[in-house]
Amino acid sequence: MIRLALPKGRIREAALVAFGVAGVEVEKLDPETRALTTRLNGGEVEVLFLKDWDLPLYVERGIADCGVVGSDVLGEVDGDLLVPARLRDGACHFSLIGKSHDLPKAGEQARLATKYPKTARRLLADRSWGAEILELSGSVELAPMLDLADLALDIVQTGRTLRENGLIEVEVLDVIHPCLVVHRAAYQRHRAVLNAWVSRLEAAELAL
Amino acid sequence: MRISTGLPIGVTALLFGAAGRRKSLEDALVGRLVENDYSEVVLPILDYAEPYEALLSPASRGELYRFVDRDGEVLALRSDFTPLLARLIAPRLGGLSLPMRLFYRGDVVRWAEERAGRLRESYQVGAELLGEDGEAAEAEVLRLFLDLLASTGVPRPAVIVGFAGALDELLLAAAGESGSADLAAAVARRERSAVRRLGGSAALLEVVDKGVPADPAALGRMGERLARCAETVAALSGLHPEIAIGVDLAEFAQLTVDPRLGTSDSLQRSYYDGLVFRGYAGAGGIEIGGGGRYNRLFDQLGVDLPAVGFTLGLDGLTSVATAAAPQEVGS
Repeated sequence: MIRLALPKGRIREAALVAFGVAGVEVEKLDPETRALTTRLNGGEVEVLFLKDWDLPLYVERGIADCGVVGSDVLGEVDGDLLVPARLRDGACHFSLIGKSHDLPKAGEQARLATKYPKTARRLLADRSWGAEILELSGSVELAPMLDLADLALDIVQTGRTLRENGLIEVEVLDVIHPCLVVHRAAYQRHRAVLNAWVSRLEAAELAL
Repeated sequence: MRISTGLPIGVTALLFGAAGRRKSLEDALVGRLVENDYSEVVLPILDYAEPYEALLSPASRGELYRFVDRDGEVLALRSDFTPLLARLIAPRLGGLSLPMRLFYRGDVVRWAEERAGRLRESYQVGAELLGEDGEAAEAEVLRLFLDLLASTGVPRPAVIVGFAGALDELLLAAAGESGSADLAAAVARRERSAVRRLGGSAALLEVVDKGVPADPAALGRMGERLARCAETVAALSGLHPEIAIGVDLAEFAQLTVDPRLGTSDSLQRSYYDGLVFRGYAGAGGIEIGGGGRYNRLFDQLGVDLPAVGFTLGLDGLTSVATAAAPQEVGS
């Protein structure tokens, strides 16, 4: 039996489509159920639904053998995980958000609000301007709107929230992909199954 | 005044039964090491930071706890037994008879990001065989590691075997000096599409999928070693059928020995330069130790001394053994 952790959040649909293609009978999942775990494929696959930010820990600790998590989350957690596939679905991206189209000038120090401090440091490492990172837990767009910060770095999907609040997507920084993550020891135990799943995702052009 | 009962992040105290369980396990492991003619050495937990740091990889240096002593010396807490032992043995080699079989036990302290189940202070038992080159010495140490692991009775033990640097020729041929580190990281992640995108050959893709290339000759000079290693692993599997042993070169793809691959070793403890292995146990596949050949560490100290060894993490082993044990009445 292989235990698969699926995210409850934004990338749930992409994960379900991918695992349907991979051969997991996700169509048998009851969307109304409050059960925390479900057995599929004649009991060979057990599915857990977890919050996106908790999922890497469940896989890292071997509670789940594998799972799907967004590269946004993966970039922030310090987990020892294998990543055998990244899904092509890139409906979201990291962007710099502000009240105007202007980026800070060379040598300037900007206040940057984000939920993703590690990602911000990585993506902005080679800029000619500096960033004082203000870590927030939510509603990051409010920070530049109300002058808590000069810019925000956050996930943008449709851009509707920005438009409705008079904010501007100043620069797209990185596309976010759902990633298949696997525990090291679980990979050795379930190598054949996991490789077959990845092959089917590649054949269907769902994997990068 | 109320005194806090809390402990720093990543530190735990073993009280009552938990202390007894770990001590029993430690005594059993030490007993087996003594039976196998390994002699105990007791190593300090404090060392000067400068020479100790020089023997660690960049990633390990970042985990080191350093402080200025009242004398003004910069000291470090022991984060890894092996370089400490190597530094103490190297200048004394003239008066020592080889080979030496040594073991040690104690705490290591490494900074780690705060995360459930991750310890900054952990307890290890380790063994080193010094002065014996060749595959027989590697097989002896791997066999001892398996014997000790089997003796603990932990459920679902598994050991992955590989070679530091086994993929270097393939990585350099595919991606050159500039791209090899990224390619090694993609192989280690088992990300086939990235391996293809970075120019990985069919043999590298076989390593990603199966752990080894279909034709060992694809590894160049390492091909013969791999074939002989597979024989050793098969023989050891027969001795310990309860342990799942496999060869997987992808697992150690970033443990490069070719300096042209440079940056990839910043991610790992990388003084290994030959056979390497890593053990897991329990339903969750907790990493419980590992080791390998590390002649390169003594090269750095200007000494020609072949060395191979391993450590076992007692915290992980005890938790796996305890989870698997029948619960005591009233516990």
